[in-house]
Amino acid sequence: MRSGSSGMKKANIIASIVLIIFTGFYAYLTSQLPTRNLPNTLGSAFMPWLLAAFLFILAASLLIMNAIRGTQEKSNPKVSLKEGLGVIFLTIFVYLYINAIQLFGFITITPFFLAALMWISGARKWREILLVSIASTIGIYLFFQKIFKVILPQGTLF
Amino acid sequence: MGAPAVAALIEVLQFQNIFASFFGVLFGLFIGSTPGLTISLGMVLLLPITFKLEAVTSICLLLGLYASGMTGGSLSAILLNIPGTPSGSATAIDGYPMAQKGRAGEALGVAVSASFFGGIFGLTCLVLAAPLIARIALRFGAPELFSIVLLGLTLICSFGQTSVIKGLISGVVGLIIMTVGLDPMVGSPRFTFGQVELQAGISFLPAMIGLFAIPQILIGITGGTKVFPEYKKKVSGVLPKISSLFKLLKTMLLGSVIGTGVGAIPGAGGPIAVFLSYDYARRISKKSSNYGKGEPEGVAAPESSNNAVAGGALIPMLTLGIPGDPITAILLGALMIHGLIPGPLLFQQSQQFVYSVFWAYLIANLMNLVVTFSTIKLWVRVLKVPQKMLLPIIVILCTVGTFALRNTFFDTGIMFCFGLLGYFMLKYGFPVIPLLLAIILGPNLEEHLRMSLIISQGDYSIFVTHPISLAFIILSVFSFFGPLVWPLIKNRRRVAQKGS
Repeated sequence: MRSGSSGMKKANIIASIVLIIFTGFYAYLTSQLPTRNLPNTLGSAFMPWLLAAFLFILAASLLIMNAIRGTQEKSNPKVSLKEGLGVIFLTIFVYLYINAIQLFGFITITPFFLAALMWISGARKWREILLVSIASTIGIYLFFQKIFKVILPQGTLF
Repeated sequence: MGAPAVAALIEVLQFQNIFASFFGVLFGLFIGSTPGLTISLGMVLLLPITFKLEAVTSICLLLGLYASGMTGGSLSAILLNIPGTPSGSATAIDGYPMAQKGRAGEALGVAVSASFFGGIFGLTCLVLAAPLIARIALRFGAPELFSIVLLGLTLICSFGQTSVIKGLISGVVGLIIMTVGLDPMVGSPRFTFGQVELQAGISFLPAMIGLFAIPQILIGITGGTKVFPEYKKKVSGVLPKISSLFKLLKTMLLGSVIGTGVGAIPGAGGPIAVFLSYDYARRISKKSSNYGKGEPEGVAAPESSNNAVAGGALIPMLTLGIPGDPITAILLGALMIHGLIPGPLLFQQSQQFVYSVFWAYLIANLMNLVVTFSTIKLWVRVLKVPQKMLLPIIVILCTVGTFALRNTFFDTGIMFCFGLLGYFMLKYGFPVIPLLLAIILGPNLEEHLRMSLIISQGDYSIFVTHPISLAFIILSVFSFFGPLVWPLIKNRRRVAQKGS
């Protein structure tokens, strides 16, 4: 067995199992595709079947290679609890922002979102946060809406 | 060259046309270097203005944007590792490491110079060899187009730096993603889950923004890692020395030839050209081991190719009315607004206008060189914005940018999904570029494959009986199996040598 990162070996095995499960799901969906073909050509499902087969072979190869030989990749795939929670929190935060923007409109909600995100990013000077968040929102609004006539999301309430 | 060419030059040198070119260049630099804004979007935004302008003024404006947008996309790729255009992705591979090592000035200088070189090379081909190249490109049928797209895709395994198999998986996942939407031939929905928005497929623009921007933002905000380098000192050495440019001449020439050639093939476009140029430049280079670590050749090859594509793409657009990429498709629309129908007849009926296009493109490239070099430090200042302030603003720009594409938050959702995917791919060591390229090129691959089989009535030999297609397929096989087989051969040789 070759020397290599045991963390990456484990990560590769997990990734390959996830990919094999995904391939199974994709193959199931492919089997449900309607068969409506033109004469002398491939059906809608040909490419998906081909890709499912390729992905299965590649994922299985990754699994076998890592299980038997290990990996020479040195990078550490470990996601710390803090980082993991941060990713989940940010995803929820952005999801809420997208929903809030549809309710309150871009110009109303964005300074609050920007200020909160700046605080999360490590900014602590409130005057600076306030100034940058308001100025950026106005700048983006003028740039997109007024100069380039790009329609920004409007809220239903404002 | 004759009276029409001289008259066209005089017309292009009018104040309003020079100003339009200048404004187009400035706007293109801004659009190109701002994450979330694309050259196509910039062009579409300028189209309503062109209704009120003369045809030549319009073309000066749009060509200025076209020439500098490509350069602008690479500036953000070098400084922020966020390519503003798909073609800027290859520049980031070596440009960003150069910036991280404090050589941003050199990288930017090489990028701008190579862009100019590529632009002028493309223009020369457009003027001198347009009929010849267009004639060759016209011969390309579906089998040839399928095999060139296949070649572009097989090369992606070369970008799986540490693990070839992971590069291939990334590419196949990208191709799987592109199967979402209406079937290109029979129109039946595939993997749309009843969602109307998914019927048009997954647009690569939100995917690109998500894959490149969001993982960096997530790592920057949650991990506390400094994603963007902070330059305490002034960026210097932007103007490259003539001697160092001479050393890059071979690379720039290679990039320009590939860029013009690929650009002239309708549908192939910039992303294939830049990655082909990068890959071939690396293969022929004596410094191939430095590629990916901050090698100027790795910036010069895609950059020259990037801008040469524009000249190449204009060839079939002007001579045949076939746009080479989405940008030339918008240009074609802009010409038609003014009653100018691109095609062979344009050369007969509006000869002076054709010359005006050539001169306008020359002016655009010269303007791009001058304006970019003189304002480059403005773009460098982006790096001096504190990360804790820059990252949230980038989130907003990405959100607004993706919303603006089709005025729907569906694309914004797609962007964040791809952002999360990109984050985990980064963590697990899967390269994102093969995935992105597969999404961009995948639809063409399937369409040309199925079109070829309709032409051949289901006979697969069509791909090997066409000489050009056969050549591309052979190159594809080498590109696909080479990186997998070559290490095994080397390993066996090493074992055999040890044994003896």
